[in-house]
Amino acid sequence: MKQKAPLLDTLLGLVAVAGLIALYAPLVAVAALSFFQITRVRGVMGFAPFSLEPYAALIANGEILAALATSLIVAMVASLASLVLALMFAFYFVSARRRFGLMMQMMVFLPFLLPPIITGLSLLIAFREIDFARGLATIIVGHIVFIVPVVYRTVLVRLQLLGGSLTEASLDLGASRVQTLVHVILPQMRPALISGALLAFAISFDETLITLFVAGSETTLPIRLWAMMRVGFVPEINALATLILLVTALITLAIGLLQRGQAERAS
Amino acid sequence: MSTTSSSHRSARPRRRGIVRDLLWHGLNLGLPLLFVVLPILSFVLVSFWTLTNGQIVHTLTLANYRAFFTEGSYLQVYLGTVLLSAQVTLINVVLAIAIAVFIFRRTPRVRFLILMSFMLPLFMSYIIKIYSIRSILGQRGLLNEGLLALGLIDQPIEVLLFSRTAIFIALAVLYLPYAILPIYLALDRIPANYLAASADLGATPLQALRDIVLPLGRPGIAAGAVFTFILTFGDFVTPQMVGGTQGFTFGRIVFSQFGLALNWPLGSALAVILLATTLLAVALAGLTLRREHVR
Amino acid sequence: MQPLLHLENISKRYGSVRVLDGIDITVADNEFLTILGPSGSGKTTILRIIGGFEGIDGGRLMFEGRDLASVPINRRPFNTVFQDYALFHHMNVAENVGYGLKVRGRPRAEIAAKVADVLETVGLGALGARYPAQLSGGQRQRVALARAIICEPRLILLDEPLSALDVELRAQMQRFLKSLQRRLGIAFVFITHDQEEAIALSDRIIVVHRGRIEQEGAPEQLYRRPRTPFIAAFLGENNLIAGTLAGVQGAVCRVETAAGPLHATVDGPAPLPGSAVLVAVRPEHITLAAAAPGALVAEVVEIRFLGANILIELRHPALPDTLIKVRRLADGSTARLSPGQRLTVGWAADDAALLVAKG
Repeated sequence: MKQKAPLLDTLLGLVAVAGLIALYAPLVAVAALSFFQITRVRGVMGFAPFSLEPYAALIANGEILAALATSLIVAMVASLASLVLALMFAFYFVSARRRFGLMMQMMVFLPFLLPPIITGLSLLIAFREIDFARGLATIIVGHIVFIVPVVYRTVLVRLQLLGGSLTEASLDLGASRVQTLVHVILPQMRPALISGALLAFAISFDETLITLFVAGSETTLPIRLWAMMRVGFVPEINALATLILLVTALITLAIGLLQRGQAERAS
Repeated sequence: MSTTSSSHRSARPRRRGIVRDLLWHGLNLGLPLLFVVLPILSFVLVSFWTLTNGQIVHTLTLANYRAFFTEGSYLQVYLGTVLLSAQVTLINVVLAIAIAVFIFRRTPRVRFLILMSFMLPLFMSYIIKIYSIRSILGQRGLLNEGLLALGLIDQPIEVLLFSRTAIFIALAVLYLPYAILPIYLALDRIPANYLAASADLGATPLQALRDIVLPLGRPGIAAGAVFTFILTFGDFVTPQMVGGTQGFTFGRIVFSQFGLALNWPLGSALAVILLATTLLAVALAGLTLRREHVR
Repeated sequence: MQPLLHLENISKRYGSVRVLDGIDITVADNEFLTILGPSGSGKTTILRIIGGFEGIDGGRLMFEGRDLASVPINRRPFNTVFQDYALFHHMNVAENVGYGLKVRGRPRAEIAAKVADVLETVGLGALGARYPAQLSGGQRQRVALARAIICEPRLILLDEPLSALDVELRAQMQRFLKSLQRRLGIAFVFITHDQEEAIALSDRIIVVHRGRIEQEGAPEQLYRRPRTPFIAAFLGENNLIAGTLAGVQGAVCRVETAAGPLHATVDGPAPLPGSAVLVAVRPEHITLAAAAPGALVAEVVEIRFLGANILIELRHPALPDTLIKVRRLADGSTARLSPGQRLTVGWAADDAALLVAKG
């Protein structure tokens, strides 16, 4: 049921289109500039013909590739660890006494509710206090702290949806707790686990504000790009950006489809 | 003999149970305590220390907080940043309400697709978006060149980049999806027959918007506003990248204390103020929500 | 006389599924009309079409001779009581009830006075400040009614409004609805799948089945003279005996069956002699007597004691597939019945309806 309101819909539609243009302009610009570089002839701007030069330069840029590798490692480790932790926290929340569960949940959610700058500098100071040198490990910890709430949320929703009866039925049939977990609960939670892990990976791969505090000399891709951009224009950034956009678009699409499937099954 | 052995047998599993319970609680409460709560406490503690001649003095004082109010332009930058974040929050929440209502008024089948298309940019690289916004807004950027080529202007607009306006635009573009999502989710929870009922009782679409949709969307609007404010207020990379020397925001000052300025105690104190400000924003948003009458 | 509301030959399809086909309904002023049908019959779609929540693919919807096609929901001169009431949970009872007046821009004092008035009418005088979450099911139902009648519509639509209530409350609300309708003197179009509710409340019932009108009439007429096997089975219980129409005398028809000739009554035109027909008799209308030659003699198969009633199942040797059900008040004579007994089964021709057997 929808009441017709052509004028209202037109106005809202215009805002929506303007919003989409504002949101996508930066993405489109980057992709376009990766194929058509800007040229200037006596100050007049023009576009060079189509070329894959930036992509070639990218492949040759060892610094960027090293940072990319770091980012992939960090994202992989952080999202896997977050998945395990989030599962543990979710089981704790549904099984422990409510007071304890809420206490745990509040602490777990904090880094996602606070501005990243707070999470970043508090970890920086804590690492410093215990004389733990900044490096790959501190980056991974920083990412885990930030990601766990997101994965926890996804996993918990699914777990609560499954309800206790499934677990009880399985335990009733004589399965041990571990068997119940492996054979009954985890398979049921697969969509939530996969979309949680993908989400975690995407956030970790892109994380900038916390990483700036906890990274040492070994840095992730966003930090490397940030450093390069401060110096000036590097054409291969456009190429890299386009590739990253493509990959994240695919991952996001996958998450979206998974969660929609989950929602439909739930309803 | 038999009694001791049986009591022995029953005591051991119980002890093992206690150990297991302790480990279970310890892991679940200890890990967040260790990696979330203690670090926060530690920076609050550091904020009461001072830096003298490059050495941290471990005596508790309010010197850093005093400095915030008296020294340099901390307070001025702080107020300017609050204003900037509030402005971004205001414009983004207004836009997000319009967009969320627009999505809400589509048929259920296309709603998800439209929502996804607004959320997709959220997952796109943050740093690259800033970089791209910079290349669009620059004095010789795509926007200026485009306007010049179209003959709409004859001089490049200079305030577009490295200005407060640039930070405003960039923050608004970067954080718009964060406002849309909670508002839309709140609208999505409105029972479909409420709109049927209001129309049935004679309400025009605008009246339904005023009486049903917006009041019931208010928790989402408050959440969207809080998200936007917290994220824009705490962002220090965007102002640095597009604001240049003109755009000195509070977040940048905090960050610089851990970088070039290297005054961790002062940086911590300023961060405590930043944190308190965001908590205040959350509390304010909570106040605007009247008691919810759940069905 | 012009009907208040007239649905003329309405059809509606969802994709390739035809949900309504040639629906023709008139609603008179002050009438309590029930649209009765099993779930999926299309009855709710009819209501949604009247309310304006659904468009139509064919036909016309006329209100006092005016086509409603271009009249949007909020301008239609009727109000709806929704199945789950759709009370706005963020508004209190008074705000909910007064909403129709508020959106019409009436002055506040007038709204307050009318809200108090209407709440009094539905028996909720003191509850204006409560929120829907603080009300019982029956109270919510009354708020929904108050909200629907405050703008003094000529007609209100009720979409299975009693289905969420428990049995006792439901009976109480039925009485209340009926008396409210009499007092207000406005037309009620009531949707339900509950035949007892329909019979108890309505001036007229329209039975909808598979998107078509199966039969319409006063409750007693429908009950006594079902015209199709569906109606015979849907409204109460019926014994159906198949046969061939042999002859018609006035309204009484003679039907040849495997068990011999039987009699039934038909209202209106009778089918042609020779047509395949069914004789429908209510279990409570069948009389039992000692077996006699030449009569319809059947053997008791089972006796079910149901408290006040007793249900006797009999079988006639020539009708092996038909279990003849007879309902009696349990008394001394029924206590003497036993399985295997042979009895004469009979009924007054006036109590048996003639149906046309479908293909």
